[in-house]
Amino acid sequence: MPTEVGRRTVLKGITLGAFSLGSVVAIGDLLEVFTFPNGQKVALARGVILVDKFLCSGCRVCEMVCANFNSGGRNSPSLSRILLEKEYMRGDYQPKVCHQCADPPCLQACPVTALQVDRQRGTYARVIDERVCIGCQKCVEACERHFRPARPRFDVLKHRSVKCHLCFGEPQCVKYCPLGVLRVERSEKGLLVGYPVIQED
Amino acid sequence: MGKILRVDLTSGKISEGSTYDYVPKFLGGRGLGAKICWDEVPPKIGAFDPENRIIFATGPLQGTLAPTSGRFMVLGKAPQTGPIESFCRSGVGGHFAPELKWAGYDAIIVQGKAPQPVYLWISDHKAEILDATRLWGLDTYQAQQMIWKLHGPKTRVMVIGRAGENKCRIACILTDTGDASGQGGFGGVMGSKNLKAIAVRGTGSVNVARPKALMEITHQVQKLFSRKSMKSDPYQPEEKDFKYNIWGGGYGRGSLSLLPGELLELCNSPSSGYSQTPDGCFACPVSCRSRVKGPDITPGVAFCAQSYMYLESMVYQPEKGYSKVTWQAAKLGDLFGINAYELMAIIPWLGDCFREKLITEEDTGLPLKEAGSWDFIYKLLNKIANREGIGDLLAEGGQRAAARLGGKAEKLSQMYYPRAGKFAGYREHWVYLGGFPTGYAVPQLALMWVLDNRDALVSHSYISALWGAAFTVGQNALTAVPEKIIPVLKPVMKAAYGSEEAAEFVRPDGKNLNWKWAAPVVKRYHEHSLMKDCYVLCDILFPYLFNANSPDHVGDVTLESRIFSAVTGVEMSPEESYRKGEMLCTLERALAVRDGRTRKDDILYDVYFEKEDAGGRKYKREDLEQAKSDYYRLMGWDVKTGAPTGPTLEKLGLKEVAEGLEKRGLPGGKS
Repeated sequence: MPTEVGRRTVLKGITLGAFSLGSVVAIGDLLEVFTFPNGQKVALARGVILVDKFLCSGCRVCEMVCANFNSGGRNSPSLSRILLEKEYMRGDYQPKVCHQCADPPCLQACPVTALQVDRQRGTYARVIDERVCIGCQKCVEACERHFRPARPRFDVLKHRSVKCHLCFGEPQCVKYCPLGVLRVERSEKGLLVGYPVIQED
Repeated sequence: MGKILRVDLTSGKISEGSTYDYVPKFLGGRGLGAKICWDEVPPKIGAFDPENRIIFATGPLQGTLAPTSGRFMVLGKAPQTGPIESFCRSGVGGHFAPELKWAGYDAIIVQGKAPQPVYLWISDHKAEILDATRLWGLDTYQAQQMIWKLHGPKTRVMVIGRAGENKCRIACILTDTGDASGQGGFGGVMGSKNLKAIAVRGTGSVNVARPKALMEITHQVQKLFSRKSMKSDPYQPEEKDFKYNIWGGGYGRGSLSLLPGELLELCNSPSSGYSQTPDGCFACPVSCRSRVKGPDITPGVAFCAQSYMYLESMVYQPEKGYSKVTWQAAKLGDLFGINAYELMAIIPWLGDCFREKLITEEDTGLPLKEAGSWDFIYKLLNKIANREGIGDLLAEGGQRAAARLGGKAEKLSQMYYPRAGKFAGYREHWVYLGGFPTGYAVPQLALMWVLDNRDALVSHSYISALWGAAFTVGQNALTAVPEKIIPVLKPVMKAAYGSEEAAEFVRPDGKNLNWKWAAPVVKRYHEHSLMKDCYVLCDILFPYLFNANSPDHVGDVTLESRIFSAVTGVEMSPEESYRKGEMLCTLERALAVRDGRTRKDDILYDVYFEKEDAGGRKYKREDLEQAKSDYYRLMGWDVKTGAPTGPTLEKLGLKEVAEGLEKRGLPGGKS
């Protein structure tokens, strides 16, 4: 019974999403969700990457492995879904990750429902469906209002935006960081992280 | 990618050439630079002449996930080589190389001389020569900061200080991450061209042929070199007893943590305002350096010569250990852009000369009694950077300066500069008569020292294996006894060089050195080194000969070629890589031969044959000469002259080099 209800709600949600600006999918009573004042619900991400910048040496392996893995071998920081901000002289290095926001500005801003929550892989990460993305970069602009630099990146060659999708559940940046700066926090109940819990980073 | 930027500062013309005019045959990095210099820098062109080239060359790996792909090479006719200037290489770490690749360029060739100070600004597929009048005279940090203001903080910069501007033969080029092209004096070459800096910002990508294979080999490399750090101490691995596989594994990582003293205590004190934080080159699995900052010190990187330049201060004020003065001295060297490694020979040599009453405080203008003080180093570095008084002599480099003074002063310098002959000029690593460990003679080292065109042991692999074996038997690099480390080295050397006997550099009777494996080991060592400098990978990790963490300590010499194959999609077995290394080694030798080098220049000073090591053994002249002959024979060079022969050059596909030598009537050209 609960599955039936869930499925109907999901279909209703997708339909709603197709007609409204910014799609929000209601998952039902099975999971904890973030509820907006207007009653809309977004499933919380079940995984998020956390950073211990104290350990970071600024080597940029995270950026390279991300681009290599996710952009078909095109090694470039411009395509990395994790951004390493570096102030060289002071040795101040901060990897900046997508916070998989509870209330994702990117998801709200996407005009074509390319921005979805990844139920299929079970991460509930906020992901961009590359077949749908039109490359308008509204997700980039929306993120940038809160997090600088913006976490979604624009892939000039493919004319579409890309963002962290937790590598289908096994983030490669976490695996390949030589110093253990990054880790994945996971919760089956969903994580109340990112915007609006934090307003900037 | 695929493009070489050519900049003619005389005409102001910028053009692009194809990397594939040289690659894949000359691979990249050092090989690419050697071929360009063969084609474009004949003997009559001096290092400071406008027609000298200064080449900034990456290899196929730069700008990718490939481990240690932050490095690249600076190449050209080097002012530091002396008394005859000749081709030399200088490796640089940090983050400049990938940025150049992302901007679309594999290499930069700079020739000519600008009419007034300029800098080069490179962005995606574009380069401009811009006015540097306002930058000229600034120290390296100030110049970088100006460039960041002009072009944004993500610009990577290579810059010279006053030493380069004044054409010091020992001027280095600093990168904004604190790495340097130290040896060679290429900072002076830039200065002679009125080129203050090169700034680059690139947003493109390097396309890897086999992305999954690259991830797999990177993962393999990380299993050997990387570990998660402890949350409470970023320099210690969580895995207890894991040793970082650099320098044999006995030194950990994070340079400042190695030397106790005032500065380390301040950095470890949370509320002091001083700190030491982890720092690493692009794509490195280890991150061996630190970044240090504090309220009254110049911020910068702690690594190698950039930390250890002024250890005299620790003798002068022993209670302070590694102090703020030690640090500031090294950073002052960076601000002026003076080769710290040369200073590490010049300063003790000056002390030796002073003790022997060969120089005085009056005629040098230096407070020599106070060597180790801030006053001394401040005056010394100012004089060198500005070529003032004694500084004008010292700016020629320690070995040239010593030759100028002659007599006993020159004799004293031989402790630091072992290679005699006309193609010397480089303080060698771990020399002090005998080399590793201090006081013990190792035939392979002697042969390496004499054959190279700079300091041979910048390619650390061999010495790191010796150090690693020393730590394994509970000794250190300075005290380890050969007889104790040889058993540990046997399987290591077998894997690295083909035979367990290669480890026995002292005969079992303990009375004599074993020279039998000197030539074969050094040939393979050169092949490793050449390839590593073409791919380009880091000396500290590759070739990986010694595993500090495994029971048999055997390394893995297949790593570099596997990384290369993953990035380029081109198959390269270790055997093929050695053949290519052999070819490139011969090309480099041809460059030196064309400049006048012969077997007579592959020689040590007399003192190295006169002294006994701590085990009562000596280097014998006849053994070294025999080993040289063995080496030349293995390489297919003329044994009488040490020059590559025509047939060898042709066999290696270097016909134009054979013809070039023959035209000059040079030995080895004909036969």
